[in-house]
Amino acid sequence: MMDRFGHLGWNALIGVPLVAGLLVIIGIGIIWMPYDPIAIDLAHPLGSPGLYHWFGTDEFGRDVLSRSMLGARISVLLALATVAVAITLGAVLGLLAGYLRGWTDRLLMMITDAVLAFPGILLALALIAVLGSSDGSIVLALSTAYTPSVVRVVRATVLSIREREFIEASRTAGDSPFETISRHILPNVLPPVVVLATSLFGWAMLSESALSFLGVGVPPPAPTWGNMLSESRPYMDVASWLSIVPGLCIAGTLLGVNLLGDALRDWLDPRRQT
Amino acid sequence: MLSYILKRLLLTVPTLSLVAVAVFLLIRLIPGDPALVLLGESADAASLAAMRADLGLDHPLPVQFLSWLQHALHGDLGRSIVSGEPVAALILQRFGLTAAVVLVAVTAATVIAASAGLIAAWRRNSAVDLAVVGAATVVLAIPSFWLGMVLLLLFGLKLGWLPFVGYIPFSESAVQAMLFLVMPVMTLTITESGVLTRMMRSSSIDVLQLDYVTHARAKGLSERAVLTRHVFPNAFAPTLTLVGLTLGHLLGGIAVIETVFTLPGLGRLMVDSVLARDYPVVQGCLLFTAVVYVVVNLVVDLCYPLFDPRVTAR
Amino acid sequence: MARSAHLAHVLGTLAVSGALALGLLAWQVAAATGAVLRARLKSDIVSTNPGTRRDENTDAVLLHIIEGLVASREDGSPGPMLASRWTVSADGRVYTFTLRSDVVFHNGAPLTAAEVIWSLQRYLNPQTRWRCLAEFGDHGIARVLSITAPDAHTVVITLDRAAPMFLTTLVRADCGGTGILHPDSVDADGNWRAPIGTGPFELGEWRHNQFIELHRFAHYSPLPGVRDGNAGGKHALVDHIRFLIIPDSSAARAALIRGSLDILDNLAASELIGIRGRPDIKFQQVPILDCYALLLQTRDPLLSDVRLRTAIALTIDTAGLTKAITWGTGTADNSPIPVASPFYGAAEAHIRQPDVAQARRLLRAAGYRGQPIQLVTSRRDPEMFDTAVVIQAMAAQAGIQLHIDLVDWPAHLSRYTVGNYQLMVQSFSARLDPALSFGIFIGDKREEPRKVWDTPHSRELLAQTMASAEPAARQPVFDALTREFLDEVPAVVLFNSSRLAAVRSNVTGYQNWTAAQQRLWGVGLN
Repeated sequence: MMDRFGHLGWNALIGVPLVAGLLVIIGIGIIWMPYDPIAIDLAHPLGSPGLYHWFGTDEFGRDVLSRSMLGARISVLLALATVAVAITLGAVLGLLAGYLRGWTDRLLMMITDAVLAFPGILLALALIAVLGSSDGSIVLALSTAYTPSVVRVVRATVLSIREREFIEASRTAGDSPFETISRHILPNVLPPVVVLATSLFGWAMLSESALSFLGVGVPPPAPTWGNMLSESRPYMDVASWLSIVPGLCIAGTLLGVNLLGDALRDWLDPRRQT
Repeated sequence: MLSYILKRLLLTVPTLSLVAVAVFLLIRLIPGDPALVLLGESADAASLAAMRADLGLDHPLPVQFLSWLQHALHGDLGRSIVSGEPVAALILQRFGLTAAVVLVAVTAATVIAASAGLIAAWRRNSAVDLAVVGAATVVLAIPSFWLGMVLLLLFGLKLGWLPFVGYIPFSESAVQAMLFLVMPVMTLTITESGVLTRMMRSSSIDVLQLDYVTHARAKGLSERAVLTRHVFPNAFAPTLTLVGLTLGHLLGGIAVIETVFTLPGLGRLMVDSVLARDYPVVQGCLLFTAVVYVVVNLVVDLCYPLFDPRVTAR
Repeated sequence: MARSAHLAHVLGTLAVSGALALGLLAWQVAAATGAVLRARLKSDIVSTNPGTRRDENTDAVLLHIIEGLVASREDGSPGPMLASRWTVSADGRVYTFTLRSDVVFHNGAPLTAAEVIWSLQRYLNPQTRWRCLAEFGDHGIARVLSITAPDAHTVVITLDRAAPMFLTTLVRADCGGTGILHPDSVDADGNWRAPIGTGPFELGEWRHNQFIELHRFAHYSPLPGVRDGNAGGKHALVDHIRFLIIPDSSAARAALIRGSLDILDNLAASELIGIRGRPDIKFQQVPILDCYALLLQTRDPLLSDVRLRTAIALTIDTAGLTKAITWGTGTADNSPIPVASPFYGAAEAHIRQPDVAQARRLLRAAGYRGQPIQLVTSRRDPEMFDTAVVIQAMAAQAGIQLHIDLVDWPAHLSRYTVGNYQLMVQSFSARLDPALSFGIFIGDKREEPRKVWDTPHSRELLAQTMASAEPAARQPVFDALTREFLDEVPAVVLFNSSRLAAVRSNVTGYQNWTAAQQRLWGVGLN
């Protein structure tokens, strides 16, 4: 029975509900949240989870459930934006490097390697410090850190297929490089890029949390799961729900996205079923 | 072989130069004046100017860069603005701790991943496989710093089994030093074993389907011999590459874990020095990690042939 | 079945070794507390050279090792230390100090006028980079014309004009207390070596980012009388002090509970919850002379209108904000003079009551249409961050749109220094004299852009407070300054915090004071 299901089944079985659940929560959050996530209530700080506040309140009396819902939206949007920028930029650069080769390739690879040699968190930290703490600078900083990975994958894929017959055929048929790329190369580049995108989403979400944890990141009072985790540290032993809730949110989201990514990968390339 | 190594190392020089220039400029682009941070909020203009001169910050940028580069090539990375300590010594000391944690954790994670991944592939689609894959997938989704916080909460605060008052070096008390490191190592081991297990399992599955494995079984070799002598070495190769990448990446700093457990490691040094605008330390650290990253990748590449199927298969 | 037994075996072994290790740890800890008093610093000290590269931790540690001619008493007034008494000439320019004859340096050399002159001239030498050199320059309180020694136990300092703030400046912790050092503290080329002072403790080992150890100075001769600020009788009751560097508050708290730390000073208010009520830990709370304020940039086009500034001030419920942010340990204060100061009186005790309706009226009158106003803060301490969050929420009630600009500390400091902000949350360390407290805010923005209150009248009043040393003459001027400060709203002072300390019950004699500076003399272990 296990064999018939295969792992495609399990991945999708768990991944889809998780991701769907996340989207539902975000959707609900856009229209309604139990409390205003940024409204403070100084009279009731650090309230434990109960009837009125399902996930309790934080040190300013703000409702943790509402903040988690808004945090979901912000964290997911930031991660999505990062992935979008990194994939777009990385694909363009990777295509250029792989197709044109020569000095373009060497220069791009040197820059890519230089960026990769930076510890990612540090690079992001420094860029955010220069650009100031805002959503835009976080997306820019994180995508800078992740673009090299995309460049490498795209370039490797382009290199491996550019010598294949149908590319040669396309060129002899008189197609312009643009047509060759868009009609023949791009469709082959897409699967690994899509798979990479799901991993990137997870990394981006983790990195945003890590940056918030280190003290830079989305400025208050906007909640992200990362800055909620960071701000929970002084109260770990007296208000442990403040640490547990955002962490579970991140873990749950990542689990769903990873499983979905695996299912996607299996679907795109059944030979490589894991 | 030697010429290959030299050639590889030479090829990294332009990259490292680019890194050096980039770090130098980037850290200075961040608003904030190290002299001001040192002197505090009530500093007057004369003291600030004097401090900047002391720190060598009043020279034009190219001069500062070339001076730093020249000293760096002789092994002198300058002195920390914040503490006055020589940067090279500071980095090595901090790196020692980070390396200890990373090496122990990655070794443990590799052992776990190699065995679990192989067994899961061998018993594919069974309950064991499901458990391994499930565990690895869940572990992948857990943020490392959250795991660290939870472990801290559980073992440090609630149960009180393990201490976490910062770090005491081995020189003072080996027992205490090891105790402090248990939780960070545990955190890192768990976090890293996820992706390594999946990689090992994936490549083991691929290898198990290859002809020469069927061949080996047909020859009458015991299953154990087949697994250990034929499957494992070849399946392990891609995992080893990943281990190398992971090592290179982690040695560059496990800043968040060090923050959670307040370990004086290299990662925290980098973050703290960026936040304090300690230019020489930031520059030295980044140059150091870039070199480590390059060297580790080179070593991994050199080890790869040891596991290459074309060498071991007969 | 076999696997679970194996697992149990492994767990059992781990548990046993864990227990053994903990036992060893406890034994080691017990052995250590016999002679060493362990206190905590949040970050490493920056130098052992007093009054040069410094921060609060550095000052606190070095004040155990060095002493000046005079030292600050608890009420902020200068008291005798290395000088047993002093006289001031009629014109206020000549100070004659009589040195004590029983003082020795840590290297055994006796204190004489020669070392005093050497130390003072070293501070006045620009090469030394003394933090308070500017006080004795063009914009300072006076210039030092000469320092002479008529005999081995008398030092005469002549200033170019009367300076009632002279001694108050000498005793400042950020000036290193103008500590007297022995010339062997520097080497032949004048480079710094180690502090050889006269204090009850001498410098032991400084292991960077781990600890600083001090040892009791056996030949210290304390002044008669009780401990009084940094003055009075200072007795070293333990053989060694070890300042452990523990940046993380919860780690420090855990260390205290476990017994690896004896004194946890500068506890964050949020940490109280975990410590209160434990039988083996005593707890202290002392209001200090610091100040948390919301600064307003009066040069900004929007904020140049006093109605807008007043409106912002009227949205802030100072008492509520203070209680929440300091967890009840701070004291609400709208005057630059801290509540714990002897000069805090009826005029200073006026707390602005929140009035959202009036704020809205003022906003309409000022023509505010909801433009976003930027509020700069950082995470340097939790109070700074939390204050910004609360002010933003409170201002929103009147329709004032504040956007928080979260930067890191160096950027925060930079922007403060050049005045690059619209609103900024800022904290100021303890100032022992109200003139220094007002001095934080008052000044000419063209010369010192970090000052927020730039009016000729305020500068005039401030100069008046520094023209006399008589409290009776200074109090009415401080009252006038406070009233003007509340009317003109160049800044909104919010609260003074309290210094919270938790000590283990076997520690005797530990007492925080208003200067917010850890003092470990007179502290013993049972």
